[in-house]
Amino acid sequence: MSIEYRVTERSIASRALAGLQGNLAKVGTLQEQLSSGKLISKPSDSPTGTVQAMQYRGEVRSQQQYSRNADDGLGWLSTLDNTLTGSLNQIQRVRDLTVQGISTGSNDPGTNEAMATEIDNIRQSLLDSANTTYLGRPVFGGTTSGSKAYDTTGAYTGDSGTVNRTVGDGIKVRVDATGPEVFGTGSSSLFSVLGNISNDLRTNPSALSGDLSQLDGATANLQAHLSDIGARYNRMTTMKQSADDRVNNLKTQLSDIEDIDLPKTITDLQLQQTAYQAALAATAKVVQPSLLDFLK
Amino acid sequence: MESSFSGINTALSALYAQKRGLDVTGQNIANANTDGYSRQRVNLQATGGSAVGAVYSLDKGFDGSVQVQSVQRMTDSLLASRQRSEHAQDSYLNTVKGTYTQLEQVYNEPSDTGLQNQLGQVWDGFHDVANNPGDLAARSTVLARAKVVTDSLNVAHNNLTTIYSTRREVLDASVDEINTTADSVAQLNQAIVRGQGSGSSVNALQDERDAKVLRLAELTGGTVVEQENGTTDVYLGGSPLISGQLARHVQSVGAGRLQDQAANPVGLQWTDTGNPVAVGGGEIAGDLLTLNSLVPDQSNRLDTVANSLISSVNQMQTAGYDLNGTAGTPMFTGTSAADISVAMTDPAQVAASASAGGNLDGSNADAMAALADAPAGPDVTYRKNIADLGVSVQSASRRADIQDSVTSDVDSTVGSQSGVNLDEEMTNMLQYQRAYEAASKLLTVIDSTLDTLINHTGIG
Repeated sequence: MSIEYRVTERSIASRALAGLQGNLAKVGTLQEQLSSGKLISKPSDSPTGTVQAMQYRGEVRSQQQYSRNADDGLGWLSTLDNTLTGSLNQIQRVRDLTVQGISTGSNDPGTNEAMATEIDNIRQSLLDSANTTYLGRPVFGGTTSGSKAYDTTGAYTGDSGTVNRTVGDGIKVRVDATGPEVFGTGSSSLFSVLGNISNDLRTNPSALSGDLSQLDGATANLQAHLSDIGARYNRMTTMKQSADDRVNNLKTQLSDIEDIDLPKTITDLQLQQTAYQAALAATAKVVQPSLLDFLK
Repeated sequence: MESSFSGINTALSALYAQKRGLDVTGQNIANANTDGYSRQRVNLQATGGSAVGAVYSLDKGFDGSVQVQSVQRMTDSLLASRQRSEHAQDSYLNTVKGTYTQLEQVYNEPSDTGLQNQLGQVWDGFHDVANNPGDLAARSTVLARAKVVTDSLNVAHNNLTTIYSTRREVLDASVDEINTTADSVAQLNQAIVRGQGSGSSVNALQDERDAKVLRLAELTGGTVVEQENGTTDVYLGGSPLISGQLARHVQSVGAGRLQDQAANPVGLQWTDTGNPVAVGGGEIAGDLLTLNSLVPDQSNRLDTVANSLISSVNQMQTAGYDLNGTAGTPMFTGTSAADISVAMTDPAQVAASASAGGNLDGSNADAMAALADAPAGPDVTYRKNIADLGVSVQSASRRADIQDSVTSDVDSTVGSQSGVNLDEEMTNMLQYQRAYEAASKLLTVIDSTLDTLINHTGIG
């Protein structure tokens, strides 16, 4: 039997049907993309794209969280900054009074008593400042669960724990400062120095110059921490800004991977529909005629 | 000297033969759209004369008549064999593709609602606890979000078990189909042998048997051997499923549930001997691959994600201290995606602090939040699984699509070989019609010459 190439009505019809179905499937895919707006709706659409999309999503989420963490940290740091700046002004007033006390000496007990009272008040006010809270937590108290960093006598009741905020991958910024660090410890602590000054004003003005140098030492320590806090505030602001920028970048990249190119998809759909209609018309013409039509 | 009437016989044989040709043409046209129908052709042969020529023989070797030698099925056994193997491969690949598509639907990725995002929410929750360790609301949120994750893992595992058990039932149905189809092929073999013995046409029986053998190939990828006596044998892995008029049966064995699969893998065995059946391809091979490999593998991968979540979080939990200052307790119980759940009910038990004493340290919660990027953490494990699955689905789909077009090409070639072309049938019909008319005319002419000879000669 010789094998000549035969074409039969059925094979034409089934090939035409397969072609039409292929065309229609492409139209369906494009329409699905248009209606969902997504290029990737399941992992097999693009395995690498899927993983990138998942990574970018995770990254967006963590950067947004870093930004939130930074907001919270900025709250802590600005509380510290405001409190310590206010304290410095008050300490300056104490220094003025002490210098005045040194020059007055023991000549005018009435004036010294008035100055000592003012210093006692300032000390109380500084203690209140040292108990400043942010969202219910004393900012100078370390990680204490209590509500105060210092008790009424000026003794530290917090702990030495530190409070950190994660503001980037593996980047932690400290957002607190413990009382002993900022205000000093033991006899050199600001509160005991202030207590000594008010005592000496009342009883032993000659010791005031020694107190003054101690006060200057405590002030210098406080100023050093204040500038450190300022630096940390700036760092935190920068990290927040970069986290926000990164979120924008990542969202753009995510959209590039996942989202359809609208004009291109619409054009593709139009072309595909045209091709489909052409295939339909051609099929209708090809399948129809046979020798039967001409044998009459 | 020839007989005066021999021409009548010639015309009669022509009428018979052309009539048969018209009949077969009609049969072809009637079955132009019948699945599995092979077109038939009338083979005509001039008759007469002695089979062996001899010196001085007066026989002219031809008496002018025609006879129908056979009605031939236009098939090509090589092409049919290729069609069977391509169909077997196509069924196998499409079964595997179907499985992968189902597995892909277990995970709703990439999306804003999938497991990846739910895990991310847990890590965000830990960040919030680290920022505000004393806040019970933040701690409760972590527990609630962890519950969402464990629920999703449970649901994903349940989906896998459903895929498994459904497929196991499909396998049983396919095994039933193999057995009934094998029985009918054996019966048809018998009918064909008898039909050939009695000289009747067995074309329709052969068409029916070939269609059933093709279906068997699609199911099992079995190899086919055509025997001299017209029967068709089918072998599975070297053992006969159908041998002439005898059919053997197969049965499925193995676990009906996913959790029992490892101890009791699924397979096919011969009902009579109990020996395992080596399945070479087809739907059954795809089903067995699904049941013994694809679904269990996916289930293991999901368990790895669950385990990673359980061990990493619990390890950090027990290393830390809760809000009351006591050592942390595990957050998750369970060992797999099937039984993972949140053990913790009191939000104060989230071990946010790294040191004892009930302080408001959040560094342990911060460390748990950092598990999001841990190299072998649940997120990375899960993402890798999705990537691998995506690649597998894509390649399975591509292989199936390529095989689809190869298969339809072969089908189309078989259709060209064995299908009915109406133009051709119309042409044949014209030929037979005209030949029939001519034979009638011949009869009329011979009749008229005999009339002249018998009725009008010598009458004066």
